[in-house]
Parts: sequence; structure tokens; C-alpha cells
Amino acid sequence: MSAAPETKGVRGELPGAGEAAVPFVEIEALRSREFIPAAKEALTSLIAEQGQSKLIRPVFNWAGRNSLFPLHWGLACCAIEFAAAFGARWDAERFGVVPRSSPRQCDLMIVNGTVTWKVAHKLITLYEQMPEPKWVIAMGNCATGGGPFRTAYSVVPGVDKLVPVDVYIAGCPPRPEAMLEGILRLEDLIRLRKE
Amino acid sequence: MTALPAPPVPWPELLGEALVALEPMEGTSGRIRFRSADAERVFRAVHDAGFHHLTMIGGIDWVDHREVIYTLWSDAGKTYLFLSTDLPADHPTVATATRVWPSANWHEREAWEMVDIQFEGHPDLRHLLMPDGYEFHPLLRSFKLHEPEDLEVKVRHV
Repeated sequence: MSAAPETKGVRGELPGAGEAAVPFVEIEALRSREFIPAAKEALTSLIAEQGQSKLIRPVFNWAGRNSLFPLHWGLACCAIEFAAAFGARWDAERFGVVPRSSPRQCDLMIVNGTVTWKVAHKLITLYEQMPEPKWVIAMGNCATGGGPFRTAYSVVPGVDKLVPVDVYIAGCPPRPEAMLEGILRLEDLIRLRKE
Repeated sequence: MTALPAPPVPWPELLGEALVALEPMEGTSGRIRFRSADAERVFRAVHDAGFHHLTMIGGIDWVDHREVIYTLWSDAGKTYLFLSTDLPADHPTVATATRVWPSANWHEREAWEMVDIQFEGHPDLRHLLMPDGYEFHPLLRSFKLHEPEDLEVKVRHV
């Protein structure tokens, strides 16, 4: 009984020691009530000052161009070089390039190989399934202009007959370095992009 | 112990008038040229003689006429047999083999698509390698190499 007043005195120096405990949820609610309006006010004043495109679009541009996700599909021998570029030796992932298996997760289509008329409308379907903004790289001579099969009865003479192409990579097939160079050129193009 | 060679099949008795010529080919059971009008009967007779496996069907454009070649394999006789028939260029029509060998389906689609040979009674004669709506038969001798833009216009509606 005699020890209790001493401890009470020590406790009394701590802030909020005598008050009832506030539940954690209420603290969070209090913080958000104060923080969110303040953040909103700061952001709206910034946007009014600089314009939305100047503030937000460069961030998306920077994030997008440094994480290009190509569609993981191969048409011909260029697909072998495409695959080699993601191996240990060339390691395209250091540029944020990760092949995805679904067109809905991609923003880059690398057409690596000979496109025939039979597969043409499948290619267009895949391209249309990709979310905006999206880019196309024609990899190798076949995708660029039909290559050695240009006059064949079954080959599309260049994939730019079907979808808009941003970067052409020459070679038969191009080496993985050339593919990485193409991706870096595409990043330059995205950097210069005007909304 | 090696298997004895199978006794030769008496083709002239089996096929009768349908048989045009019987040409020996080394290492096989030879090639049978038959009349295209009796194709269905020839297929049945050859199938009943043990040639249950159809390896391929090919079409040839000889400009003045066309030819269809059937390659068959006999599991019992361990031997190949070739059938061939000549068709007029203006009316290249032959009965389908799908009723005898169901695997003829895709081979006949390809032969029709490439050298324009009509197979009467085929259940599903449509394009196999080319897109639907393709207007050419590209392995015909009369097919000229087109400018790519011409082909593009022809199949654009696909």
C-alpha cells in the first residue's frame, strides 16, 4: 500500500498517463481525418499551379518506360534470340523488361518472326487485348518487311500492315544485344512522348 | 527370324476394269494407276487387302492434267503401296477417301487448297493452311508470284 503513491508519481510525468486509453482504430481515423484533407489541399493547389499533366504524367512515363512488359509469344527463330536475351548472359530484366504470358498484363508486343496471313488476325486480336498505352517492336527482317519470304503467297510483307510499329530491329535473326538496343530506343521514344 | 514376304495381291482380279496400269517400284508393293471414276471401289478393295493406314495424299499439277497420289502402308505385309489417278485439268474431281480412311480428311483439304482438286463427298472441304477467304490455289503452275500488296487486298476481309 505504501509503494503505490511513488509509482503513481512516476506515471504522472508520462503524457496521457492519467487519461483513458484510446483504441488504435480511432487513432487511425483521427489521423486520416486530419491528413487526407491536408494532402488533398496541397495536391489541388499544386495541380492548379502546374497543371495535372506536368505533375502526374512524367511519373507514369518514367514508371512505364522502365518496366516494359513484352508479350511472351514466339513465331520463329527470332523467338530463340528473344528467349536468350532473358537468360543469364544478357539479362534483359535489368532494364525492367519481363515477358508476361497474358496480353492483358503487357504494354509491349515484340513480333519475333514470320507472320503469315493465317496468324494475322490472331496477332491483331492479341494487340487489341493489350491495355493502352502500348507499343510494338518488329524484331528481325521477317516482321519488318517479310524478309526472304516477302513474295511468298502466305506471308504478311511486314507486320506494319497489321499493327502500328514503333521500333524496327534489323537482323536475321538479330542478336540479343540488338533486341536490348531496340528496347532502349523504345524507352527513348517514350521519354519524348507528348501527351 | 525374318518374316517371309507377303504373297503378292492379285490386283487385276480385285480391281478389274478400274486398273489402268500396275507399275513395280523397288522396295514397295508398286504403284497402281486406276480410273478416277471407280475411285470409291478401288479404295475399298485396297483397304480390304490390308492397307489400313493412309500415309499421305498429294496433288500434282501437270499443266495438261492433274494427278492425285495416295501412299498407303500395310501393317500385315510391312509394305507401302502407291495409288495414283489422272484427272482432267478442266474438271479435276475425284471421290473422297474419307469414308475408307478417315485420316484423308486433312490431306484432301490440303490438296484442294494447293492444287484445286475437288473431292466429292468430303465432309468439310475448307481451307487448312491458308486463312478463310483466300482466293488462290498457290501451288498451281498458273499461279504467278504476286506483289505482296495484291495478296493483302485479297485477304484483307478476313
